[in-house]
Amino acid sequence: MNGGETVIVVRDLTKVYPAAARLFGDGGREKLAVDHVSFDVRRGEIFGLLGPNGAGKTTTIKMLTTLLIPTSGSASVLGLDAVRDPVKLRPRINLVSGGERGLYFRLTGRQNLEFFSDMYRVPRESKKAKIQYLLDLVGLTEAADVRVEEYSRGMKQRLHLARGLVNDPEVLFLDEPTLGLDPEISRETRALIRRLSEEGMTIMLTTHYMFEADELCDRLAIISEGVIKAMGSPYSMKESVRNDSIIEIEARELGEAQRKELSDLPGVSAVSIQFLEARQLARIVVDDAPALIPTVAALLENRKVISIRVDQPTLEDAYIKLVNGK
Amino acid sequence: MIDLRAMKASFKQQSIHFFVDPQWVIPSIIAPFIFTTVTLFLFRHAGGDLLLYAVLGGGVLGMWGNTIHSSSWSIGYDRMNGTLEAIMVTPAPLSSVVFGRCLWNSFLGLLNALAVFIVAEFAFGIDVTVQDPLGFVVAMMATLLSLSVLGMVFGAFYVVTRASSAFFQILEFPIYVLSGAVFPLMNLPDWSRPFSYVIPATWGAEALKISTVAGHDSMGLGYYGALGLTGLTTVAFLLISLWLFTYLEGRAKVNGTLVRY
Repeated sequence: MNGGETVIVVRDLTKVYPAAARLFGDGGREKLAVDHVSFDVRRGEIFGLLGPNGAGKTTTIKMLTTLLIPTSGSASVLGLDAVRDPVKLRPRINLVSGGERGLYFRLTGRQNLEFFSDMYRVPRESKKAKIQYLLDLVGLTEAADVRVEEYSRGMKQRLHLARGLVNDPEVLFLDEPTLGLDPEISRETRALIRRLSEEGMTIMLTTHYMFEADELCDRLAIISEGVIKAMGSPYSMKESVRNDSIIEIEARELGEAQRKELSDLPGVSAVSIQFLEARQLARIVVDDAPALIPTVAALLENRKVISIRVDQPTLEDAYIKLVNGK
Repeated sequence: MIDLRAMKASFKQQSIHFFVDPQWVIPSIIAPFIFTTVTLFLFRHAGGDLLLYAVLGGGVLGMWGNTIHSSSWSIGYDRMNGTLEAIMVTPAPLSSVVFGRCLWNSFLGLLNALAVFIVAEFAFGIDVTVQDPLGFVVAMMATLLSLSVLGMVFGAFYVVTRASSAFFQILEFPIYVLSGAVFPLMNLPDWSRPFSYVIPATWGAEALKISTVAGHDSMGLGYYGALGLTGLTTVAFLLISLWLFTYLEGRAKVNGTLVRY
């Protein structure tokens, strides 16, 4: 994908949400959601914005799709300014959001696609065939004339994708496209995204699933608190933690206090704790695991530790180090 | 800009929603119908023009009831569904989408108005002979269009805030009174006249009365004068609504309030 035409250019993009005006009570404070973000996306690329909830991923994508006006900076897509040229830009892009909402539940899948085809002025002579093609593509042919309120979560997400393709967009924006889907449907959705990319579509997606970014993206930017912490291929991200090692601890009484204590130890770059049903799994990114294990074990001796082992770093560890690291 | 294809699609979409969602029958058909029936019952001994006013007022009320309940709720429905952003990312102007829906809602009101005339004629025995049938149809269409445009003005506020419904719901009865649809304007206090004169339905209702009641011309405008003022105020509200959509969309995009519900 390297060397292709640049189709998305983002420079110092910043979004501050103003404090809400309220008749009674405090409207809250203004919120900095995206802070001087810059990146480029090339034609045919799958570019990912990876970050935790509230990192600024969705805000960034909404500014690129003309749904939000930036506070400062610039964003252009296909050579068109997202603020000044929305009328020219909108027919050439589309946005698919994850989640249950965003469809007319009382209409059938086909009626939803017909409505949005008209909104995009899809040529009348090809509209019917186009809709049938999309229904076939996402596997909803049999359910096409069933009301969306009777669809499963996965069927709704596939209809979202079909809706995003009604205008043959040159750039498709996907906001958390597999959010809440079961593994099988997620896999099918990712396969469809890959297929669209292979057919030449430029795709920009947001996700907080590490494996999804690793599997799909040619390049990705890790964003946290509105700031891009790192950018590159998933491989280069993994390379950034190649010289680190991981201490993985399984225990029953780990919490935020222990995460902070572990983070403060010398030689520790980052700590993440995954809360499972009756236990916790901590992954500690360190310079020298064997040297640090006695210190870690002593610190956690009253925390019902089940096991301690040394592991190789993954993309997730690179992400944790970049987002939560010292 | 007005996008006729988007208008047609949203008109069709709104009609499908009406037929598959029984709850809309209550504000669109049943509520105005009951209100009008009660009004006819109260006026049944009045006789003459006053009774005809009640019939015409019932018709206008039917159309207005639809507009205030359904059209102003149009964007609120998209907020609830999470489809507002899906529409706004398309090239279709939001104002055209809302206008298409308003047209459907007023069309429903038209059916409601026809039902009122039938009930008045057959259940209450009121003579609703129309003096100028062609003029009546034209005035009815103009009133229908003017109410749709008024619905657009209200609909625009939903783009910027979900709290609009509380304010607009209370406007149903004042506009019903101020338009002079049922009560002659001369019976209202002087201070209320300016409010009446800016409402397109006031002039639409006047044109309807002139075309229906022989010799009626309470404002000395004549049929074409009333119809012209209906058109003028409708165009004014159309321009206001288009400006409001542009302005309020811009504000919503700065404040990030499109997805809140």
